[in-house]
Amino acid sequence: MEQPRRRRGPGVLHEEHREAFREGEQGTKLDVTFQPPSEIDRLVRTALQGGEGPDIVPTPGPAYAGEYIDANLFAELDEYVNRYKWDDKLLGWALDLGRSEGKLYAIPYQLQTMLLYFNATLFEEKGLQAPRDRDELEGLAEELSGQGIVPFAAGIGDEPAAVEWFPTVFWNHFSGPQALYEALSRETPFSDAVFVDAIELFNGYVQKGWFGGSRQKFFSNGFDALHADFGDGKAATNIEGSWFMATAAEFFGQKAGNENEWDWAPLPPMQSGVPRELYELGIGSTISVNARSGNTDGAAAFIDYLVADKKRAAEYMAAIPSAFNAPLPFEDGDFPGSMDERVRRQLVSLSQATDRGNFGYTNWTFWPSKSTVYIQEEIQKVLTGDMTAAAYCKGLADVFAEERKEGAVPKIIEPGGA
Amino acid sequence: MEVNEQTLRSAARADSASKAGSGRALRRRRRLSAWLFMLPLILVNALVILGPSLATVYYSFTEWSGIGPAEWVGLQNYTDILADGDFWSALGNNLLWTVIFLTVPITMGLGGAFLLSQITRFRMVFRILYFIPYVMASVVNAALWQNILDPGRGIGSALAGIGIPWLDGVSFFGNERLALPAVAFVDNWHWWGFVVLLFLTALQSVDKELYEAARMDGAGRWQQFVNVTIPGIRATLVFVVLMTIIGSLLVFDYIYIITQGGPAGASEVVGTLMYKEAFARFEAGYAAALGLGMSFMSGIIVMIFLYLRRRGWEV
Repeated sequence: MEQPRRRRGPGVLHEEHREAFREGEQGTKLDVTFQPPSEIDRLVRTALQGGEGPDIVPTPGPAYAGEYIDANLFAELDEYVNRYKWDDKLLGWALDLGRSEGKLYAIPYQLQTMLLYFNATLFEEKGLQAPRDRDELEGLAEELSGQGIVPFAAGIGDEPAAVEWFPTVFWNHFSGPQALYEALSRETPFSDAVFVDAIELFNGYVQKGWFGGSRQKFFSNGFDALHADFGDGKAATNIEGSWFMATAAEFFGQKAGNENEWDWAPLPPMQSGVPRELYELGIGSTISVNARSGNTDGAAAFIDYLVADKKRAAEYMAAIPSAFNAPLPFEDGDFPGSMDERVRRQLVSLSQATDRGNFGYTNWTFWPSKSTVYIQEEIQKVLTGDMTAAAYCKGLADVFAEERKEGAVPKIIEPGGA
Repeated sequence: MEVNEQTLRSAARADSASKAGSGRALRRRRRLSAWLFMLPLILVNALVILGPSLATVYYSFTEWSGIGPAEWVGLQNYTDILADGDFWSALGNNLLWTVIFLTVPITMGLGGAFLLSQITRFRMVFRILYFIPYVMASVVNAALWQNILDPGRGIGSALAGIGIPWLDGVSFFGNERLALPAVAFVDNWHWWGFVVLLFLTALQSVDKELYEAARMDGAGRWQQFVNVTIPGIRATLVFVVLMTIIGSLLVFDYIYIITQGGPAGASEVVGTLMYKEAFARFEAGYAAALGLGMSFMSGIIVMIFLYLRRRGWEV
């Protein structure tokens, strides 16, 4: 299997951007400032509120961008849609997520989905196969638990908000994308039994110790520890977003002190009627132009340069898997030969499945901000037994209904209609 | 002659008045100089403390996301706080934290200082060793203890490897009952060495003759400690208690770094709740009200401290 190219830090790529963009866009100078990832959102927000901030403003996703748009901190970009033909270049559903009341304010970036990663070496040794339905998934978890292997490497010790991955996965692969579409776009409430049952199923898996080894370890495991367990074979699988591909090489192979390989498979359907190959659509960040920018044209030109050039985007996506996934309509032939086969397969599979309408919804992309925070924070109470799954879903239904009234729910695309 | 006497008296009065006048002028000049020296600090304080404080007071009466315009809602945020179960739960954790820090580090600090006061060799070495955690960055201390207490790779599994299994697999930060005491343990590890040094300095100022007198009266070690040491270091003790109470009400860093208030709010304190309200839930107005509430409580503690001083306590 072809190994990914040696990773280059984002700093190297940004240096390349600076040079290349200067050559292409005379008159616009690109200054790049690095901030700690854990601090950048707070710093940018404080700067914007103070009437300052960078010309090009990143956010952690459409839900977050919506707060800035409501506060009139982003410039309208519709003029540039025509100038740079973004409607033709970018995926329509993704571009729609950056619109508010029909006007474009944010360009989506970092296309993501949730996957089932597995320790391919361990699976081969034990004669296991990636599960294709709930019975196989649970059979696999029982078997691995019996052998003292953690079925799913998992933990939220470093980032409690990451617990949101799991309601997202269970709602998509148990409740199904159609049920989610109904809840997100129409009047079906999240208190419906189909969503409650999904949360109960997730809670049941956690109580059995399938996620991270025990409920308590699920709460305390940090990313490095859980990924190291996954690489070493102490844990067999890992339910995580496509972004894991960017760091997988650190936990597998010589660098990590083992001889193991990783691979991925689509998360299996957990109930009949759910598509066998289903990918939740997610946008990990957005890029906008500061409403107070003195050079909106230059900022928009850089966004076009960064996101909308298919060849350049494909090169970055090969250099650092999943970190720069631009929402462009890629085909297999668009990617350079240096791209890891697993990364290429994931990108092509995602593209083909979404073409067929087999896509679901990540909460950090399609739910408004207060609902997203509710999903992240209250689910822990379900896992500790302080709240029932029904009460959790009822609470979400209430928060979501309030945000729907406020017009905060983004445009939802119907499964099969992408 | 009479005229001369009157003239002399008038001259004396004038001289006295002139001296008094020049004394007043001198005092005025001194006061003015003092104010001039203080002016830059006052301006800086007004800019970085008074201004934001007043803004916080204003925003606490508004519905504000932290960005964009704020909407005046009067006392709504304060009434919401009173009905907020998460707030009361977090405040309860603050109180538990206060109890822990009023007992454990102070007891350890007194004990450590007393033991250090009994030795002369290596005293400086011990002082430095005790003080090192205090000057280390909280993120470093936290990361250190997260690794030591990791259920799979920490001290529990190491002990299990040599046949002592009772801590194996215990998730100190992932267990709802253990999370808050475990974080308090880490914070205490960094704090108690500083308390030792404060008490040690205070102990050294206690008159040795008092101990000799107590011994001559037949007082044992414990009686000497209660009747000589404690009164002798009362000012430091009250200062440490005051700092502990205020610090416990405003605690944030170790909890935020290690558990972020989890699991399921088990280690949430008002400081972490406030941060989440402001930066995750976009409820900056509500967070401002929470912050002011905590400042109000700290203010009451300081007022009690000042009241005790006025009543003649040597604090």
